[in-house]
Amino acid sequence: MSALGHTSQRRPNRLLAFLGRAFARPSFVIGFAIIACSILLALCPQVFAPYDPLAFDMTAIQQPPSLAHPFGTDNFGRDVLSRVIWAYRVDMQMALLATIFALTIGVTAGAFVGYYGGIADTIFGRCVDAIITFPFLVLVIAIVAVLGPGLVNMYIAITMVNWVYYARLTRAEIMTQKANDYAAAGRVLGFSDRRIIFRHLLPNAISPVIVYWMTDMALAILLGSSLGYLGLGAQPPAAEWGVLISEGRNFLLTAWWMSLMPGVAIVLTGLGFSLLGDALADLLRAKGR
Amino acid sequence: MPSLSYLVARLLQIIPTFLLVMVFIFLLVRMLPGDPAIAMAEAKATDAQVVQIRRNLGLDQPLPVQFMVFVKNTLSGDLGRSIMMKAPVSEVILSRLPTTIFLSLYAVALAVLLAGPLAFLAAMRANTTTDVVIRGVFQVGLSMPVFYIGLVLLTVLAAQLRWFPVGGYGTTFLGNLHHLMLPALSVALYTSAIIVRNLRASLIEVLDADYVQFARAKGLTPRIVMTRHVLRNALVSTVTLLGLSIGNLMSGTLVTETVFAIPGVGRLMLEAIFARDYPLIQGLTLTFAVMVSVVFLLTDVVQSLLDPRLRKS
Amino acid sequence: MKRFLPLLLGAALGFGAATSALAIERGGSMTFARYDDSTVIDPVWADRNPDLWMITSLYETLLRNGADGAIEPGLAESYAVAGDGKSISLKLRDGLKFSDGSAITGDDVVFSLDRARNPDGPWGGLLGSVEKVTAEGGKVTLSLKQPDPTIPSILATFNTGIVSKAAFEKASGSNDQEKAKAYFDNNPVTSGPFTMKSRVAGSSMSFARNPNYWRAGEDGKSLPYLDGVDFVVIPDDATRILKLQAGEVDVAEFIPFARVGELSGDASLKMELFPSTRIIYAPINTRDTRKDGSKNPLADLKVRQALNYATDKNMLIKLVTFDTGKPMTSLMSAATQLHYGPEPLYPYNPEKAKQLLAEAGADGGLDITFTTLAGSADDATLFTALQQMWAPLGVNLKVEQVDNPTRGAKNRNGEFDIHTYGWANDVNDPAQVTGWLGYYKQRQAVGTGWNNQEFNTLFEASNSEVDPAKRKDEYKRMQEIYAAEAPLLFLYETPFAVAVSKSLENYVQTPLGANDFSEAWRAK
Repeated sequence: MSALGHTSQRRPNRLLAFLGRAFARPSFVIGFAIIACSILLALCPQVFAPYDPLAFDMTAIQQPPSLAHPFGTDNFGRDVLSRVIWAYRVDMQMALLATIFALTIGVTAGAFVGYYGGIADTIFGRCVDAIITFPFLVLVIAIVAVLGPGLVNMYIAITMVNWVYYARLTRAEIMTQKANDYAAAGRVLGFSDRRIIFRHLLPNAISPVIVYWMTDMALAILLGSSLGYLGLGAQPPAAEWGVLISEGRNFLLTAWWMSLMPGVAIVLTGLGFSLLGDALADLLRAKGR
Repeated sequence: MPSLSYLVARLLQIIPTFLLVMVFIFLLVRMLPGDPAIAMAEAKATDAQVVQIRRNLGLDQPLPVQFMVFVKNTLSGDLGRSIMMKAPVSEVILSRLPTTIFLSLYAVALAVLLAGPLAFLAAMRANTTTDVVIRGVFQVGLSMPVFYIGLVLLTVLAAQLRWFPVGGYGTTFLGNLHHLMLPALSVALYTSAIIVRNLRASLIEVLDADYVQFARAKGLTPRIVMTRHVLRNALVSTVTLLGLSIGNLMSGTLVTETVFAIPGVGRLMLEAIFARDYPLIQGLTLTFAVMVSVVFLLTDVVQSLLDPRLRKS
Repeated sequence: MKRFLPLLLGAALGFGAATSALAIERGGSMTFARYDDSTVIDPVWADRNPDLWMITSLYETLLRNGADGAIEPGLAESYAVAGDGKSISLKLRDGLKFSDGSAITGDDVVFSLDRARNPDGPWGGLLGSVEKVTAEGGKVTLSLKQPDPTIPSILATFNTGIVSKAAFEKASGSNDQEKAKAYFDNNPVTSGPFTMKSRVAGSSMSFARNPNYWRAGEDGKSLPYLDGVDFVVIPDDATRILKLQAGEVDVAEFIPFARVGELSGDASLKMELFPSTRIIYAPINTRDTRKDGSKNPLADLKVRQALNYATDKNMLIKLVTFDTGKPMTSLMSAATQLHYGPEPLYPYNPEKAKQLLAEAGADGGLDITFTTLAGSADDATLFTALQQMWAPLGVNLKVEQVDNPTRGAKNRNGEFDIHTYGWANDVNDPAQVTGWLGYYKQRQAVGTGWNNQEFNTLFEASNSEVDPAKRKDEYKRMQEIYAAEAPLLFLYETPFAVAVSKSLENYVQTPLGANDFSEAWRAK
């Protein structure tokens, strides 16, 4: 009990110190800024989008970028900028929801099999191998086809495959941590297994998972876009970057802005997550030393 | 070298994995809405004809019976007959596999050539402008959907500048290198972006590590420190990463082969799914599983060759 | 007995006059970029368009479809239907040869037609009325169970292409289907304008000129003009067009309509819009209840008519087909034989739609699901536009994107409200499309569950009606009933959009979709 009280008291200071170090790094600052702006756009696109993203304007079909339409218009005369902005809502949601459940399930499963080992670990190992030997996209396509297309089913499909990667990562970390003295100490003190895993081992094992999570969110957007391109992700007329790109790909030469602008948004957001991830990796490594 | 018993143990582990894969894919394809009879008859078959096609394909049998037939045939090396291609599955796959393997190896080679030196540069000059630019450029590769990169490469380098042919593949080795340059590049951009990220990080870590500092302090020349310690460690992590990304690579070929009109197994898989060609999907999945398992095994072997510490575990 | 000579002469003269400005040139080859590969180009077992549309390049039929839909002579120089309509006799030309130089005989014809009658094959039903096929020298007789006015059209359809009995029987395989595959894979002996030279599955294929082909070209020597046709498979639309623009191929098929305008402006290309029998329509579930047991508002005729009136076809044609399409005037395309449709069906009339919905008591809002093909840009556009058009009527249209087999399964299980669909005739006769779209016993009227007694009776009668005038009347009545009953959302007809290099002349895609290279030639 006393150990716990001790850490919770010290946490705010450590967090502040950590943030101080973080904001001293340009890559963290840039990454943070990009993601913060993205979240803002996702939360209230109506504030920033100049037009209704779904409104047709048959008098302004495929207009090149101009002052009235900074990103041009599409084949229905819809404002591309507004559609890209509204897509933030779908894509940021995708980044979060397609990964967060995989992370939770994966970390929990990985922590348990890593700690207990034995037969559970063996069964886990074979399941992981079986899932990993499947081509990822094929599996997701098949699951989406079974469940029916749409965002929720896409999250389920991605989660069903993706948790494995978190689980593997956590398992390896837990196994390393388990050998450390404090885990043994916890057992000697008679702490429950759950307490040892969640209070002692996991906090020390979680940093590579967090770093991977950042990358994974960028990958989730990319994967969601690929599925949107195949018609298995977000459903029209909703705006989603992958859907926007695929809508524009028939007009690559005549209306390049239709596919380029959402492409830029994907790259920028991906860059944000990666910079954050890299910066966190550096910071956590430095802290670990 | 890894011991023989280790290799045997690894090979034995593959058996339950394969059984799981077989059960899994068998059930998965049958859960897909629609069936081969409908897909095949999508055009113009009457309801009566669809029933007839189902009977001819044995789809009217109970699932356990169908599964036993599948397992029995697979174990005796018979993957069945592709419904869509109207030919034995093994024949269809074998005719397409070399192209995909060639494309994948080509992409890996390009990725390593591209990412290796640049990752070194970025690590040596960590947190300088050079570093930021290198990482930024590769980040673009990581964030662009393959179908978009492919289309842009085709439009600019093939159709406009005519440096490369638009899609297809060659008949000779050199012809293939030329034809498959763009598809390999578009897959490689993604893979190399991952390599750069991780290689850079692990290089920075190694460069900071005590034993490298110690080696430097001992007065070893930078070149020796580099080759003996840094390079070897960096290689271990790169090989591990490449091994792990084989699944991603395979998924990448799915889209790439369609965009670039390459008759490989990736595109075949996509077509097989859309045709609900059960035997072909099953056969392809097992092929993928074999390939990925082989790559994992090779990764293990190479790892233990490079890093003696890993041999014990 | 019908004699074809004057007709043929007239056609040749007309043709000559039309192209007199350009003298044809022989030799050379062309490269054709296609969207999918052929797997088995066999008259009997082919079941996918990439196979079907190539069959007549390899296998000649006894009769041929003329330019204006009339039946013209093929390997048979004439045909005659018996007075009771229960037998048809044909006379083969003299001196016909297969590509290997062996003679095309009555035995080959009997063999080919007997294969084509196999009820297990996807097209066996087309010859369902045939009882027996016999040959005496060059005279072939088909005995029928009952009169069948479609037989001459079927004898001009790919499934009755003539294969060499001797060569086919040598092919390995335990049944006809396996033999067909083996025959196709090993440089088959052919009767059409071309032979198979080589093929790399999934990637490319080459046809070589068949020197023994019977038809003569404009210069009096035998067709085809080209020495060969090379095919490359490029499934991606954008890549296929790039390949053409880079000058690596001469023809790219299935140009997305969105690109037609741009390619029309390309000086090095001809943007061809070949007239077709292709229709784009949306079956409406007309059953009283939906699959989940809830009440189906679309069972009400007035609701179906209202939705048809609420659909601005001209706007759809502009948005989806970029003004290359035209509105439907009947259940079948205007290019189909016996088509009846004086004007576009259900011209856009939102007022009338509103009124019909009110009469049906459905003006309080409707929830309808529109099932589309995942990844299809056309379907996505169609949905987006319909959603906007129908919203003012209180129709809340939701989209459900599925892949092709899923859509097929939903159609066959009646598990849909409205979904997209397309069709192109395979046979130059209205019975195929009419049976598919409207006859309940065949496909539950394209899955709509629409079961109209009068229509069904008319259809059955027309299938054995030997009097052309009576058959025409029956078809007129069927088309009127179908239009009024609206089991479909009538959308539009589209052409086959094909981009062709300027140096290539006379490549044709027929209204039935078949690729015709027999009279193509290349200017040097």
